[in-house]
Amino acid sequence: MLYPLVLIALAAAPFALVARFAGRDRIAWGLALIPLAIFGLTLAQAGPVWEGGQVVERIAWVPALGLNLSFTLDGLSLLFALIITGIGTLIVGYAGHYLANDSGLGRFLAYMMLFMGAMLGLVLAGNVLTMFVFWELTSVTSYLLIGYKHDYADARRGALHSLLVTAGGGLALLVGLLLLGQAAGSYELSDILAAGDVLRAHALYPAAVILILLGCFTKSAQIPFHFWLPGAMQAPTPASAFLHSATMVKAGVYLMARLSPALGGTALWDVTLAVVGGATMTFAAIVAMRQFDLKAMLAYTTISMLGALTMQIGLGGKYGAEGVATNILAHALYKSALFMLAGVIDHECGTRDLRRLGGLRAYMPQTMVVTALALLSFGGIPVMFGFVAKELMLEAALETDLGATLSLLAVAAIAVTAVAYLVTGWRLFSNTFLGQRSMAAMQQHITDPTPGMLIGPGVPAVLSLLIPLAFLGPISGLIGPASAAIYGKPLEVKLALWHGVNTALLVSLGAIAVGAGLARFGEQLANLRGWPAWSRGDMIFDRLIERTLAGATALTRTIQEGRLRRYILLTALAMLVFVGVPFVSFGLGEIRFSLDPQLQFYEILAAALIPIGVIATINARTRLGAIIAVSVVGAMVALLFVLFSAPDLSLTQLLIEVLSTVFLLLVFSVLPVRFENFSAAWVRRRDAIVASLVGIMMTGLVLATATNDAFAPLAPFFLENSLEKGKGANVVNVILVDFRGFDTLGEITVLFIALLGIYGLLRLRQGKDDVAPERVTTAEPAAEPVDTQR
Amino acid sequence: MIILLAIAIGALFGGATYLVLRRSVVKLILGLILLSHGVNLLIFTMGDGVRRGAPPLIDASGQPPAGAADPLVQALILTAIVISFGFIAFVLALAYRSNQAAGSDDLDDLSTTDRL
Repeated sequence: MLYPLVLIALAAAPFALVARFAGRDRIAWGLALIPLAIFGLTLAQAGPVWEGGQVVERIAWVPALGLNLSFTLDGLSLLFALIITGIGTLIVGYAGHYLANDSGLGRFLAYMMLFMGAMLGLVLAGNVLTMFVFWELTSVTSYLLIGYKHDYADARRGALHSLLVTAGGGLALLVGLLLLGQAAGSYELSDILAAGDVLRAHALYPAAVILILLGCFTKSAQIPFHFWLPGAMQAPTPASAFLHSATMVKAGVYLMARLSPALGGTALWDVTLAVVGGATMTFAAIVAMRQFDLKAMLAYTTISMLGALTMQIGLGGKYGAEGVATNILAHALYKSALFMLAGVIDHECGTRDLRRLGGLRAYMPQTMVVTALALLSFGGIPVMFGFVAKELMLEAALETDLGATLSLLAVAAIAVTAVAYLVTGWRLFSNTFLGQRSMAAMQQHITDPTPGMLIGPGVPAVLSLLIPLAFLGPISGLIGPASAAIYGKPLEVKLALWHGVNTALLVSLGAIAVGAGLARFGEQLANLRGWPAWSRGDMIFDRLIERTLAGATALTRTIQEGRLRRYILLTALAMLVFVGVPFVSFGLGEIRFSLDPQLQFYEILAAALIPIGVIATINARTRLGAIIAVSVVGAMVALLFVLFSAPDLSLTQLLIEVLSTVFLLLVFSVLPVRFENFSAAWVRRRDAIVASLVGIMMTGLVLATATNDAFAPLAPFFLENSLEKGKGANVVNVILVDFRGFDTLGEITVLFIALLGIYGLLRLRQGKDDVAPERVTTAEPAAEPVDTQR
Repeated sequence: MIILLAIAIGALFGGATYLVLRRSVVKLILGLILLSHGVNLLIFTMGDGVRRGAPPLIDASGQPPAGAADPLVQALILTAIVISFGFIAFVLALAYRSNQAAGSDDLDDLSTTDRL
């Protein structure tokens, strides 16, 4: 039973609202039992996965569309599900302390639970369409979390950026997944993974890959879409620690890893991933090294790590798969710890600016130790879990099939990144805990936080040390099936701290040595002049949004400037272009007509009076003349109905014609007697030309379509069944009240609504006679809307 | 005979387009009336051919006349006639009220409320 895992988290969201009451820290730890329970339930069902099998579950949702609500638990899903619920447990408890003074905690935790459900759904989905639904849900919940402090402009901006970028990528992804499903003939993940050879040879393959990668790169903040992630740091720290380091941003990585057995193995997939990932990794690591804001620093290292994961999927091979799985776990552990620690420091000192922090070792010793552990893992220092992961990354680069050049470049990029990580880690640590006691620290009484708050970062930080020392065996059991899912073939994984002296170890040690040497110049590096502000991605994106809105406003002003005739003119012109031009190009040959020998003079007379009546209506100078002219047209239409076998229509038309004329006379009696020409002569000439073209086009269309007999007529059905099934001899009437009775019901409804409208309009007159019937000048708006009820 | 209807329809659509492009409320309404006639005749031509002297009525023999006219388009038009009447009546009431309020037949005098 996999879907309850998702359901529990989603259903828990309303209950999380209780956290708005006092005693929030205890309530939050109580709520943390929910993710913990899901963690346990996931483990309880994981039996077959350890042996390399999977748990599959399928609920038919919209069977006609091939849409199944199917869930699959395999190694990769299990790894992610455990990270999501495990880290989630700690984060929920931690959030209770972090937001202890904020009555919005209930809302915050409700969003977190929703997000957790969405994320679990994403990684457990066994159908790409199911997965897409949860994918979008993570974007939406992330938007809510980033914009949590919605009274700050920066928070709103960050939330909007992340939503626009990830949802925009989501659109591309949807199309990509649809193409993928088309090519594979199924939307089930298992079918897609089995159809790898077919997919890679399919004509839709390049388009599908590019679109899917767009979705993944936006979600996982790869260059050039990386800029939304630092902006997302406006979210409260627990959300940053959870979404923007451990889970959501890895959704893109998850999807790439998930699909790589089916889509990988081509230059398009492998090289794109390796190059984009490698570039992102190196670039973001260097930018991170130069930050002064704790969270911004961590945000850039996260982007860098996402790049590293993407790169390893591209590098492929046994070590690539193993490296991805191991790095995902190692990164989730140390990065969530670091984010939570940044939150602790921010919470205690009131700032997270490295220039205002310092000398905290005497006041926060426990925090310092935990931070040191997490940073050692981050820096890839031996015996930490981060070291094991980095060695695998180097192996992946050394053993790749992509050729010597890319291999060498990847190794160099990893080395540069490792150096940058060390400098970053040292800057973070020394500026916070070492040195002189800072101004910020002096202003308030600073101590270690309560133990409850330190559990959150403490557990993953300690695990980063304990796993390589004590638990490499069990963890290999988790990493193995996950790597196999990425690799596409069964894989024996045995993680080890010591692989003997090899190239990877030497590169690693070299990087550590260089990093240690450079670390003392960290501040100088950070203070070097950077890129100008206008070239930053978020600034460019802001300008893009502004331009788009300005363009949309200008377009709206042009085509919807408030005058009916402009709308109608545009509609008529659009019709001439989109109907008239194709008709003239392709349809003229369809026009067929022959002179009918039976044509009677009264038929010609009736038809001829219509254009004459139309012209008379247009040229009428008085209202009475216009009414007479338009009545002639109506009468001739009725006559044509009589002549061409439609007696019912004729009767109705005549009746309506009489009523209309009475109404026209009534209403026009209050309007001016003579018509003025409001428009300039050239406007009237232009309109006459457009109108003539519309008329000619309609004549042509009627001649082309009315004589077309390509479609079987419906008429015989009604003629044959009217008496037998409808019990009526007048077929038109039977259609109205029987075959298409609902049309008539709709017609009556429309009439009734029109009646209500007319009644309302005319009733408004009562008590409103004091509304002065003055001409309202166009320059000023009416002082008061005339239709306000008193 | 289709040519007769085609010319009538063209004239109705052309004239209606010209009239609804005018600034006068009265002309706009006249244009709408012509447009509804044009649309009705257009539907009329879209059925199973236009016939003379063969209304879709079933006679005593229980059979429709040979080559009876298409009853479906007639039913559609019947609905359309009535709906367009309701619509025209509503527009007339609207014109009546707006003329009372603004004292003008010029649409431009009514545009101040919805300018962007």
